[in-house]
Amino acid sequence: MTVVADTAAGEDGPSRVPPSGTSGPPGRSRGRELALEFTERYALVVLFVATLIFFSVWSKTSGTFPHATNIKNVLGGEAYSGILALAIMIPLVCGEFDFSVGNSAGLTQVLCAGFMARLGFAVPLAILVPIAIGAFIGLSNGNTVARIGVNSLIVTLGISSVLLGIVQWYTNGQSISNNISPWLTNIATDEWLGLPVTLYILAVAALIVYYMLEHTPYGRYLYSIGSNRDAARLVGLRVERYVLIAFVLSGTLAGVAGVLLVSNSGGGNPQAGQIIDTLQALAAAYLGATAIKPGRFNVLGTMIAIYFLAFTVTGLSLAGVADWINSVFDGGALFVAVLVSTIIGRRRAGTS
Amino acid sequence: MSGPGEPGHEQDSEPASVVPDVGPTPGPPSEVALRVDHLSKTFPGTRALIDVSFAIKTGEIHALVGGNGSGKSTLIKILAGVYHGDAGGTITVGDTTLAADHTTPAKARALGLHFVHQNPAVFPALSVAENMVIGHGFSTNAAGSIRWRALRRQTQALLDRFQINVHPEALVSSLRPAERAMVAIARALQDQEGQHTGVLVLDEPTASLPRAEVVRLMGALNRFARAGQTILFVSHRLDEVIDTADQATVLRDGRLAGTLVGDEITESRLIELIAGRTLDRMYPVMPPVESDEVVLEARGLTGGPLQGVDFQLRRGEVLGIAGLLGSGRSELLKMIFGAYPIKSGTLLLDGKAVKFRDIGDAMDAGIAYVPEDRGGEAAFLNQSLADNVVASSISRYWKALRLRNRAMDHDARDIIGRYFIRASSEKQIMGTLSGGNQQKVVLARWLSRKPRVLLLDEPTQGVDVNARAEIYTLISKAVGDGCSVLLVTSDFEELSRVADRAVVLSGGRVTSELRGAEIEPVRLTELAFSTQEVAS
Repeated sequence: MTVVADTAAGEDGPSRVPPSGTSGPPGRSRGRELALEFTERYALVVLFVATLIFFSVWSKTSGTFPHATNIKNVLGGEAYSGILALAIMIPLVCGEFDFSVGNSAGLTQVLCAGFMARLGFAVPLAILVPIAIGAFIGLSNGNTVARIGVNSLIVTLGISSVLLGIVQWYTNGQSISNNISPWLTNIATDEWLGLPVTLYILAVAALIVYYMLEHTPYGRYLYSIGSNRDAARLVGLRVERYVLIAFVLSGTLAGVAGVLLVSNSGGGNPQAGQIIDTLQALAAAYLGATAIKPGRFNVLGTMIAIYFLAFTVTGLSLAGVADWINSVFDGGALFVAVLVSTIIGRRRAGTS
Repeated sequence: MSGPGEPGHEQDSEPASVVPDVGPTPGPPSEVALRVDHLSKTFPGTRALIDVSFAIKTGEIHALVGGNGSGKSTLIKILAGVYHGDAGGTITVGDTTLAADHTTPAKARALGLHFVHQNPAVFPALSVAENMVIGHGFSTNAAGSIRWRALRRQTQALLDRFQINVHPEALVSSLRPAERAMVAIARALQDQEGQHTGVLVLDEPTASLPRAEVVRLMGALNRFARAGQTILFVSHRLDEVIDTADQATVLRDGRLAGTLVGDEITESRLIELIAGRTLDRMYPVMPPVESDEVVLEARGLTGGPLQGVDFQLRRGEVLGIAGLLGSGRSELLKMIFGAYPIKSGTLLLDGKAVKFRDIGDAMDAGIAYVPEDRGGEAAFLNQSLADNVVASSISRYWKALRLRNRAMDHDARDIIGRYFIRASSEKQIMGTLSGGNQQKVVLARWLSRKPRVLLLDEPTQGVDVNARAEIYTLISKAVGDGCSVLLVTSDFEELSRVADRAVVLSGGRVTSELRGAEIEPVRLTELAFSTQEVAS
């Protein structure tokens, strides 16, 4: 005798789906629906291609933008941001935020450089130990969020600040650039089959995450948890454990991103790996959720979003636009992406 | 769980009234504090309220009674201005008449209707004084600071007026449940300033109170009424209606079933009006129980509201569990499913004691559970129908390091056909299906696992008649295959048609058991509403 009346009202009955006959909506509106769906799926791709064409023909950038060097630079240079976007995406799938990915990468980056420069670690160790530390940060976040039930946004924002402090303490505000393994720094510049090696690294990471989310039960579980946590629990899913694992995976990927940062910049830079990187990753993940599989965080969409943002920013800077435009653009993209994906999501859930 | 979207209270046939409908009580206007005339409310697909009229005299305690889905919550919401009634209905308070299709919360307040809802919105972490002013704005001094001393004084005056013996600075969390309810009442009435022109409306004020607290609260209501306060209260505890109310209005299937005055308010009369005779609905014939084999047995299950529940469930049997909201019926199902902690007692499956550490264990043992709150606990509304169907068995499709998505879609298509689900394809998003079809999807999710024990909590809530018949056809098929069912439903008519046996849960225990022809709506209503233990 309680008061669910509001939700129960009108939710039922013949108004939505005719009780007899299983056919969908009649022909014409079905066509419109398909067109709408297609637009939804590929709007970002079309926008991306249009941006590429625009910067290739615009007189201000046509001389520099469409050149192989520029394109390779962007393709290879986005490996760090791309992996960070994958890192933030995994907890997002199950409805949690990991705002610490940028600063986790910042810490693992100075540790990786520091281990080589100060402690003389062998290269594999100098790479793997920081990644393990990234995983540990994820474990700690996940434990607090999943087992104790603290709001993930607050937990990871707080941890971000802690990590930032540790970086300042460890580096004293100075870059670490001695004794960095040339093998590691060469990764950023090497090419394989005419494409930057870092692009392959990103592709491998993206494929693994794609496989995990779309082709393993674990991925399905994460989407279910993101859709309705209580229902997920009541179909027998171990919600806490899966959410915890999502954070560990996120932290691990942030660690990988940190190592790539060392390779990119040739050392450990206390100014790199910041909350702004987290926001950029968030923008890519949300923008990605508006494409390919609208209303759902997905790897391909996120990758398209990363390169859409990167090529646009590059085009703008080649055109000589002032630097502040970049942060306006990234922030604006995040805003629009969240707006659009919320609208799409609502419509899909039939609640609009 | 009541509500307009609820099933079954169809417009297509007249429920046979036990007594002729009683119109508004005639009388001089000054004597009538609240009059409701020809109030109706139509939701898409159902009529929650049909031409209801009644009147409440000044200074009287008037009870509004009815089963789940009878329309009482809808009526209260129209009075409160949360819903608009259909055009044509009117609400009159004193000399002011308001059209039912133009109500708003502000107008309801202006009319002098004061509401205290089921879970009174008191703020446990704030003091009594703060709770009193929270909705009215704090009075502040020139610097914008709250005038605490004045606030304390006003609150003390208010507490004195309502004879509530608490300190203005006590935290509400430290008060007894009845005192909290009284604080909420005092807050609702504080504007009246001594004159008793308005009406205090209480929506199931005692639903979550223990027995002793109910007595305190009812005593307070009696005191207010003697002082001239008009009170309308919704309740499902018949004893308190009998003890406290001067008049009782009973709703059934959205219509006025009758009004009882003074000595007419007896348990038997109330039950007669509440249960009435409901519509004939299409229920499939359940296969007879052919086996004596006990599949599931509970011995002294304790935890939450339950205080030692015993029952036996046989193979191929439908065992109904009747009980009011808060009787622990949902908790009982969750306990069996490993989703609610068991404090003590044993659960036996095939005669062997089992302890489920989590839901996965219970599922492995062949137990399935369809929760009451479909949107909150069962449906993945933004996922596809296929995702929803396979949600409980995804790991089955994991072979050679790959999810067999195609096999999943294939099975989902197959299930759509077999479970009467009306959808354009297995890709359709769950949230765009009607309530009945969503429920069939949830049912299919579990029945496709071929469970041995199926736990159903209000399986036909919020679904239309046709879907209801289909849902029971599906259940009867499963029962024919040897599945045993524990069925919780507030619809006693439904229970009487479907269950082989029924137990009544009251006060945390099984108080009686009915078999075959004994399972009858009036008898069930009587047993569920009665607070004393009845020997079976």
